[in-house]
Amino acid sequence: MDTLKEDLKKHIIEQLNLEDLQVSDIDDDALLFSTDGIGLDSIDALELIVLMEKYYGIQVTNPEEGKVAFLSINTMADYIAKRRT
Amino acid sequence: MSFITVYCHIDENSCSVNGETVLQKNEESSDSWFKQLYKDLAIEYPKFYKMDMLSQAGFIGSELIKRANPDLISNYNDDEIALLFANSESSADTDIRFKESYLDKKTPSPSLFVYTLPNIVLGEIAIRNKWFGENMFAVLPKFTPDFFVQYGMVLLTTGSKAVLAGWLGILEGRVEVFLFLVETESNKGEPFDIENIIKYAGF
Amino acid sequence: MIYIGAEEIISPLGQNMEENFQAVCENRSGVSLIPHAGFNDESIHLSKITSISSQNKFEYLLIDILENVLKQIDPQIVSSKKTIVIVSSTKGDLDRNISSPFTDSIAAFAKYFKLANEPLVVSNACISGVLAINAAGNFIKTGLYDHAIVIGCDVISDFVLYGFQSLFAVSSTPCAPFDANRNGITLGEGCSAVVLSNSKEIFKKTSFQLFTGRSANDANHISGPSRTGEGLFRSVKKTLEQNQISVDEIDFISAHGTATIFNDEMEAIAFDRLEINDKPLNSLKGYFGHTLGAAGVIETAISIQMMRNNLLVKSLGYKESGTSKTLNIATENKSSELNTILKTASGFGGCNASLVIRKL
Repeated sequence: MDTLKEDLKKHIIEQLNLEDLQVSDIDDDALLFSTDGIGLDSIDALELIVLMEKYYGIQVTNPEEGKVAFLSINTMADYIAKRRT
Repeated sequence: MSFITVYCHIDENSCSVNGETVLQKNEESSDSWFKQLYKDLAIEYPKFYKMDMLSQAGFIGSELIKRANPDLISNYNDDEIALLFANSESSADTDIRFKESYLDKKTPSPSLFVYTLPNIVLGEIAIRNKWFGENMFAVLPKFTPDFFVQYGMVLLTTGSKAVLAGWLGILEGRVEVFLFLVETESNKGEPFDIENIIKYAGF
Repeated sequence: MIYIGAEEIISPLGQNMEENFQAVCENRSGVSLIPHAGFNDESIHLSKITSISSQNKFEYLLIDILENVLKQIDPQIVSSKKTIVIVSSTKGDLDRNISSPFTDSIAAFAKYFKLANEPLVVSNACISGVLAINAAGNFIKTGLYDHAIVIGCDVISDFVLYGFQSLFAVSSTPCAPFDANRNGITLGEGCSAVVLSNSKEIFKKTSFQLFTGRSANDANHISGPSRTGEGLFRSVKKTLEQNQISVDEIDFISAHGTATIFNDEMEAIAFDRLEINDKPLNSLKGYFGHTLGAAGVIETAISIQMMRNNLLVKSLGYKESGTSKTLNIATENKSSELNTILKTASGFGGCNASLVIRKL
């Protein structure tokens, strides 16, 4: 699970061009879409959907589903783990 | 009367403001040329990294112009500075990358698609500075000083008091960026006319 | 005074203004389900022109529309030194040359009509059309030109369709602007023109008065509409103030109405703040789809036709209110004395523009 989270952070930084961030800057429970957290926006959310398919083979067809799944690294990792099994 | 009060150039390996070199590209650096310029500005604006090359070019140019004219923000209301930009390749640099995303990588990238309009750079500059003024992006066959003078004068006679204008030639590694600031209430600079635009543009 | 007229449209609804307005009056839509058009072969609703082959469609549309216009004006002004042609388009013909999407088509078009001045291309997202008309009006006002021909044109491409699909912004049904069940845009393609002049003599039919308007940026987000409608609010407020037009004088609003949840909501908020939300209003996207850079010109052309015919055309696709601020959306065609019309547009990059047209 920890490797999954580390990989996820790497992919997010790369896919979303968050060049000012390191993997260690992103806490597992930080709110990704809050300005107190990482401060992602609606386009980043759509890019995360692309990321899910590209790296994990998971198709998110409804952006609303993404909203819940993409709250934090923890929720994303859970979502990936569940969808993979 | 209106005057060109500041101007700025960026090409593939150097950047200057009012003709004086600000930074030369460090070929040894692992950072891209625009990232080197961003770091040299010493500002905190992480959104910069998400921008495409066209927006990064306009963003850096506008920041350099503000640095050379620190009163720019305080001298004008939030809707008095118009943005007038042009180039001859539209958003082609990003258009090519977006096309690759669906042809080669088989997934159209939403974050690339939102940059496939040339006027997005105007939005980025407006957001950065909280400017609610006029916007215009034109696509011209070549750099045309007449266009800037003609439409610049239109803007200055219809409510705008300053115009941040620019030519943003960005395509597949080629960088031909020239920004200039036109102000009506100023006692410095050279008159805003075709001759001076040609002189300052240098191309 | 700036005169505007000689409006023309080519779209799936017809080859000229008459056919298009007839279709709109009959509440017919150009939208149909196109099999396998989308990414991953999805079938998508589009308003697509099938009468012209895809190759060089953009160039042919520019030429055809100006041929249409020539029948409505003194043809000599086209090649005059005192005439400027302004083309509003977001993507031009990017399938022809992605690195330079306007060059070839515009050059061929300019050569065909022996234009004296190089056409100006305004590419400012979905406000391009309204912005181009305002620019043209201002060029005439400042005396740079006597006449201007504004042509709005965009064609459907995989590029643009896949892009909007990647944003989850494409409607699964024909778009329903301002409706409670709206869920996105329907793309369209089309070409439209209007002629502006400092003389009404060049027009064969009646012309109208153009009050050029102002543009304003939201300074909020590059692709998300403002939650307060700030830019649209400022644009319309300045357009009315600059021309000393009071809110009471507006008979009708030709809104942008893309049918995305957030855009239509933004417009409703702006119109409410402007206290014009009681004015009859429509979006024409249900007829033409969203034609991007052409939309502002197409919708201005239909607005002029509505004034000529004193007919308020219904907003196709609208059933029940779906915005937090109530609007007075035209649910049926209705005969009505229309003297002054407000046209608005908003687009990516946070841009907004507006203009006013009045019957003379």
